[in-house]
Amino acid sequence: MSENNIKIQRNLWENPWGYVESFFIGIGLIITGLFLEVFSTSGSAFTLSYPFNLYFLIGYVVLLFVMYKWFTTTQLIRWLTKVPASISSIVLVTVLVMVMGIIPQVPSESKIITNLGLNHITSNWAFLLILFQFLTCLGLISIKRILQFKWSNFGFILNHTGLFLALIAGILGTGDLQRLSLDVYEGKPSWVATNINNQKIELPFAIYLKDFLIDEYNPKLALVDNKTGSIAHNDGKNLYLVEKGETYYFKNFEVTINDFLPNSGRIGARYEPVNELGSPPSASISVKNIENDSIQTAWISSGSFRYPYESLKISEDYSVVMTIPEVKKFSSDIDILTKEGERISTVLEVNKPFKHKGWKIYQLSYDDKMGKWSNLSVLELVKDPWLPLIYIGIFMMIAGAVYMFWMGNKITKNQ
Amino acid sequence: MTWIDFPLYSSIIVILWIIGLVFLLISYKKQAALKIANLLFVSGWAVMILFVVKLWLELDRPPMRTLGETRLWYATFLPLIGFVTYIRWKYKWFLAYSIAMAIMFLTINYLNPETYSKTLMPALQSPWFIPHVLVYLFSYAVLAASSIVAIKGLYDSYKGNFKIETLKLADNLVYIGFAFLTLGLLFGALWAKEAWGHYWTWDPKEVWAFLTWMGYLIYIHYRYFHTQNSKRALTILALAFVVLLVCWFGVNYLPVANTSVHTYTQY
Ligand code: HEM
Repeated sequence: MSENNIKIQRNLWENPWGYVESFFIGIGLIITGLFLEVFSTSGSAFTLSYPFNLYFLIGYVVLLFVMYKWFTTTQLIRWLTKVPASISSIVLVTVLVMVMGIIPQVPSESKIITNLGLNHITSNWAFLLILFQFLTCLGLISIKRILQFKWSNFGFILNHTGLFLALIAGILGTGDLQRLSLDVYEGKPSWVATNINNQKIELPFAIYLKDFLIDEYNPKLALVDNKTGSIAHNDGKNLYLVEKGETYYFKNFEVTINDFLPNSGRIGARYEPVNELGSPPSASISVKNIENDSIQTAWISSGSFRYPYESLKISEDYSVVMTIPEVKKFSSDIDILTKEGERISTVLEVNKPFKHKGWKIYQLSYDDKMGKWSNLSVLELVKDPWLPLIYIGIFMMIAGAVYMFWMGNKITKNQ
Repeated sequence: MTWIDFPLYSSIIVILWIIGLVFLLISYKKQAALKIANLLFVSGWAVMILFVVKLWLELDRPPMRTLGETRLWYATFLPLIGFVTYIRWKYKWFLAYSIAMAIMFLTINYLNPETYSKTLMPALQSPWFIPHVLVYLFSYAVLAASSIVAIKGLYDSYKGNFKIETLKLADNLVYIGFAFLTLGLLFGALWAKEAWGHYWTWDPKEVWAFLTWMGYLIYIHYRYFHTQNSKRALTILALAFVVLLVCWFGVNYLPVANTSVHTYTQY
């Protein structure tokens, strides 16, 4: 404890500022921010868009540079480049993010939460102010180590400058970020998308959906309690995929799957393969009660939006049901039609977006009521001009992490 | 070959490891016993790897989706970390701890039979899935180890026989664990961008992952600036681990849980 005791004995606000002063300033920033939340009328936080965010970035970096270069001797700058200022801002950012991790970030009934803006932390003045101090610390020490470059500083610069770039580009970039959602129907071109505020936006190109495809897993078998209607075995954890020829055990029942039809329709007493809109999967199963050796055979089906499901009651207490199949993969076979008359064909899939003229086009969803018969595909279009800067930051940090892993820490090495 | 064979495999592993632990204990008296202990640990670990590989092949998807599957990875990684630390710094107690923890994870899995589900939702079918999860799990395992070191350090200093070596071990583990935590976080961001178009949405799991990251960041900087104040550093390390635990299990129970895309599936 020795080190700290000495520090506390010097007077408050005397050189150099330590943790007490740092937290004093940091908490002061937060209180100021909360006051702004309560008394400012504008409601939503400011966002800068091009070119003002770019001016801001350049101005900020130049200012940091100037402050470091010519004002290092001032109390403020010396404080900002030392660990206590950083730690206090890291701690206070952590505290506010923790608030975000506990209070749901949605409109709230509580007056206190709403007035203090605790349900929109990311745009809360308190958060923005403390984040500003955080970034200023990070920026100044980055400049410091870059200016006194040594190879042993390499990892430090990758980590700190990378984080600085990724954060600042992420924050300033929100002003230029465009995120649109576009509904496309099979056999029709669409070019009018909607943004988050539900405004219609006309795109510089049209998208023509040739085909929307869904791949499904086989449905699963489950044992259901007749009284409660809920899944009865293993807390619903272990469901078995329906596959022809498989035998599964549920409590004291042996269930054998004689036949499985992915698309079928009931015809008399049985199901037959059919291929029409909404034809559900079905299976013929034999259930043997191990206790008394009685065997029951029947067809069950998970049903669809057009046809009812069918289960098999195997005892007073239980029935066997077939669950709705889960989706394995969905994709849209599209053409992008440009104003110049070009036609670009591609297939969109989850995790496989397509890049076109600064836009990234994502497969988002479809009409889930219709399931695999959906002829609607919902796409998302994102334009994020600041992304390259964010990626530079992220990749610097990845390199920094690898460096950190490889080199270990200095403290231990030096001693 | 699925989780159905787990009781068989896990029993073999646990028996090998427990006998190994006994030999490790004996090795404090008779150095030669250590060889046998290591042999037993390694064979148990080989069986473990065999099970993981077979399970992966059988499920036809990476076994990284449910809580039980993540526990399986802990049980795989912890002994590895124990070995590497042992080779580097020769801490027998740490090797024993990591093996014991791995046994605990296998036991929990044995008591909670797992899913046989082969399904994997489209968003998870990505080349990023495996690196993201593996890197995270590895980092959690290392950081968990570092917090055990912290607790040992606190206990030692309570007893008055604290050695700075303990803190150095903690530092090394934190640096390795933190590097991987950073990678996990960033891989997650890059993946989310590919899958959903946003690299960061402040989803509850992301919030807590970020908090965990910040917790260790505080430790690293505090240690760098105050090389002498070991007790407070140990306290910070222990607290950071509490945040990590909230991130790992707790998120499901917080009021914000219902909006997360990350809550582990129970089915
Ligand atoms: C990617 C995240 C970060 C990592 C991996 C990291 C790592 C480190 C390391 C290893 C050191 C020791 C210096 C050395 O060994 O040369 C250090 C120092 C420092 N870090 Fe960070 N840090 C990170 C983020 C931050 C942030 C967010 C801040 C401020 C808000 C910060 C402020 C500082 C300060 C002020 C020093 C002391 C610099 C000096 O005395 O020259 N760091 N950091």
